[in-house]
Amino acid sequence: MKPRPPFGLAAAAALGATFVLLPGVGLLSRIPWDRLPALLASPLVADATRISLLVAGGAAILAGLLGLPLAWLLARARFPGRALVRSLVVLPMVLPPVVAGIGLLAAFGRRGLLGGPLRALGVELPFTTAAAVLAAAFVAFPLFVLPVEAGIRSLDPRLEDAAATMGASRWYALRRVVLPLLIPSLSSGLILAWARALGEFGATIMFAGNLRGRTQTLPLAAFEVSQTDPAAGIAISAVLVALSVLVLIALRGRLFR
Amino acid sequence: MRRDRPSRHGGIVGALAVLLLAGACAGRGSAGSDRRELVVLAAASLTEAFEEIGANFEQEHPRVTVTFSFGPSDGLAAQIREGAPADVFASASPSWMDDVEENGPGILHRADFARNLLVVITPPDDPGHVSTLKDLARPGLRLVLAAPGVPAGDYARQILERAGIADRALANLVSNEEDVKAVVQKVLLGEADAGIVYRTDVTPAVEDTLRTVEIPAEANVIAVYPIGVVASSEHPTLARAFVEEVLGPGQEILRRYGFLPPP
Repeated sequence: MKPRPPFGLAAAAALGATFVLLPGVGLLSRIPWDRLPALLASPLVADATRISLLVAGGAAILAGLLGLPLAWLLARARFPGRALVRSLVVLPMVLPPVVAGIGLLAAFGRRGLLGGPLRALGVELPFTTAAAVLAAAFVAFPLFVLPVEAGIRSLDPRLEDAAATMGASRWYALRRVVLPLLIPSLSSGLILAWARALGEFGATIMFAGNLRGRTQTLPLAAFEVSQTDPAAGIAISAVLVALSVLVLIALRGRLFR
Repeated sequence: MRRDRPSRHGGIVGALAVLLLAGACAGRGSAGSDRRELVVLAAASLTEAFEEIGANFEQEHPRVTVTFSFGPSDGLAAQIREGAPADVFASASPSWMDDVEENGPGILHRADFARNLLVVITPPDDPGHVSTLKDLARPGLRLVLAAPGVPAGDYARQILERAGIADRALANLVSNEEDVKAVVQKVLLGEADAGIVYRTDVTPAVEDTLRTVEIPAEANVIAVYPIGVVASSEHPTLARAFVEEVLGPGQEILRRYGFLPPP
């Protein structure tokens, strides 16, 4: 059994826990339970939920597709500037999201670095659902790469060698030996990226704008509605809290390992 | 290697402390304990004019700091309803002033202090080929407006109604922006083909990088701006003095930024 903590420590820890929990409790206390079903069934909330699930899912997949090779390289390869690349990958995590939005416009906007080539292909990203996916994938990227890189690093390379000596092709070893072992870190990365994408606000409103049914995600809807109809804003927030709790259940403490 | 770790962490804590101190000192100057802060919540469209009026007010009241919070009037009204500390509220529409009077702490010394007109703005190279208001109805144009509920957004929708192009123009809407300055920004960046903003938003700072298309008088809406002291203000006398400043010497500044005199 662990020793009982001293009273002072327990009190300070309780203060910390209260600080983190109180906003959630405040939200719960404001939920208009009698109006909640009607508010949640409103077309605005339904549209925002649909867009949010689409955007967060798309962003997690995009971050995964773009992030997996990079995580592999960072975990396994030795090359000059590796430490720098590794630090830069984390940039979206520390960058203010609004700055990320300005950066995305500067890169993928109509007048951005890739604006011309994209337009030549008939693609104009800003104000589209694709732009919202891109913004969310950008901020979620490190949350996928970091746990997956750690997962690959903890793999014993001798397992692959062993598979090779037993005649497995590289592809077969990857599929039957490596990927199954990576499933826990891959799912952690995807869930964390999904959760971060779900909460994305600043980069989205800068880069993708705010239009119902196209780029208005749940956080954007909560922001817009809470100024004119506070009860509806609280109801949308309740949906987001519920989804976040689901994420925590899905992770079940995997965050702390 | 292991031995230098604690000192490195100590360095991080030290750096944070230095940043914190720098933040605490920045802009404080010789702030004494008798210095009073006047919090003014004002519609985003008032940003430039009110900053100038606030600077004058601070010169006339040496122990007073005027702190502005500019944003969409509906958002500012919501903050006041929720008990945000505010001494003066200046709204871009009477309806959000009514809201604070009816559902919030109340407003004292309410007065209309300015009027404003709206214009269509486009990037200088006019990618959407907008020469009149009616062009906003052309399919494929990318239009941004302030969100419904934001006065500039409501006025813009009224204008489109009056011009008889609301359905087709709103089909071109690509974003509901949080306030009118965000509409200006999206057009400035060239991401949107057109937006509807106040005439006063085309400030000297942006007039070279925006193109303005006038809205015909029969379709245009005249926005009326009310100001007043928030009834829960802790500095009611000072707040009243600021309202008087806006109604008096501030009028010349508002005129210079393109606002029309109150009705």
